Amino acid sequence: MLKVFISKNNKMLNKKRGDKSGFIQISFAWLFAIVIGVIILFFAIYASVKLIGTEESVSSSETGKEVAVLLNPLETGFGEETTTRLTLPVESQIINGCESFGDFGEQEISVSQKKGREFTDAGVDSVAYNKYIFSNKSVQGKNFYLFSKPFEFPFKVSDLIFLTSSEESYCFTDAPEEIQEELSSLGQANLLVENCPSQSKKVCFSSDSNCDITVKENEKSVNRGEGLVYYETDALMYAAIFAEKEIYECQVQRLMKRLEALALIYNDKENIISGKGCPVEVNLLGLADSASSLKDSADLIVVKSAADDAEDENKRAYCELW
Amino acid sequence: MKNKRLSQVRSTPSMLGQRKAQMKIQQMAFMLIAVTLFLVMAGMFILVIRFSSLQDTVELLEERNALLLVSKIADSPEFSCGKAFGQPRTNCIDTDKVMALTGRLQDYSGFWGINGLEIRWIYPAGTGVECSLDNYPACGKMSILARGEGIGKENFVSLCRKEQEQDSSLVYDKCELGRIIVTD
Repeated sequence: MLKVFISKNNKMLNKKRGDKSGFIQISFAWLFAIVIGVIILFFAIYASVKLIGTEESVSSSETGKEVAVLLNPLETGFGEETTTRLTLPVESQIINGCESFGDFGEQEISVSQKKGREFTDAGVDSVAYNKYIFSNKSVQGKNFYLFSKPFEFPFKVSDLIFLTSSEESYCFTDAPEEIQEELSSLGQANLLVENCPSQSKKVCFSSDSNCDITVKENEKSVNRGEGLVYYETDALMYAAIFAEKEIYECQVQRLMKRLEALALIYNDKENIISGKGCPVEVNLLGLADSASSLKDSADLIVVKSAADDAEDENKRAYCELW
Repeated sequence: MKNKRLSQVRSTPSMLGQRKAQMKIQQMAFMLIAVTLFLVMAGMFILVIRFSSLQDTVELLEERNALLLVSKIADSPEFSCGKAFGQPRTNCIDTDKVMALTGRLQDYSGFWGINGLEIRWIYPAGTGVECSLDNYPACGKMSILARGEGIGKENFVSLCRKEQEQDSSLVYDKCELGRIIVTD
């Protein structure tokens, strides 16, 4: 307001004096309009940027949720392996998160999509409690393969899902015959048993020279260069090959929690059917105890022993529980 | 005297200019309020459209999830028959196991990511009574999760259990027709 008066006074004075010096005179209305215009423009740009960011986040979250939903058909229920190809609309990073706290832990999946040269921030996590995805923490690509295999220990605990990008291939040239046959029958393009390209990850079973991943079947261990992890059953062997150590150990913990819960359910079922002429013959509390006391994959051998005992007892039982 | 001086002050040209400027400021303020209101309304309109489409996407994904889940949940380890009734079969629920599960539902809160899960006998038609350890298997439905709001999908399933013959100690497998209802 002060400036207006000054300006007006100057104008009047200048007119009186006939002074034509180069002083730019801006009326209050113009000044006010410019200031407010700049503020409105600033807020409009700010809102647009925020809206675009939200849109990117929404898009990533939607994709993450879609991926989580698409994992449902991978529950086979028949003891068979199955593979599915997943194609995302743009090049993306699927971020695999695992938490082992709580009753069953959490499987978190989020997607970060590529915009220009960079990846956007990952969308909201899709959380699942009954899924177990084995992969690196971040898997990048446009096409992905999801290969699932049931984990039976001794009863079916869950289907394990192995997530790989079509951009990375694994070479199983010296794998045992049954593994090679299984992989060939899957027909997954990035799991090769012959004619491996030079950039593929070499998975060795018999020798450990020039290998990216070494599997020692006698020790039941896998080394990906991040330290040893241990497995029992073929399903966990694949899991150890495809997953980073941290993810693998976390998912094994989660699987043991579910194994414990299922062992207790089978124990209760045994009591229910004991009233129908089925004698109580299978000790499942030992299996539940060993599963609950697992610290890391090195303890799997203890659980395996309890699982084998339970399997033998179940096979001999008058009424099989599973 | 004081009034006279006041009227003199009011009538000065600078004060007249000030009043004019105040009017302009008022006009500008009203205009600004109108512009702001317009922008807010436009923004809200955009957000409503955006969120309605987001809501559609959420519903679509939930529906797809329920559809996929209803055909697969019967095969999950907590429900499936496994090899307990001979060869493994798809869409076969071991009701003895489900009865055991109902006693441990507190551990399974939110586990399947669904709002409701119910199993009903169709043939032979059950009594319609909720199953409990006292009346099982003379009952008609099992409400594993309370049926909440949401999209319900159902699928036909075999409901199998162990039974003992009345006049002997022989145990046999009994399978009946039922349906599983999943609400997401």
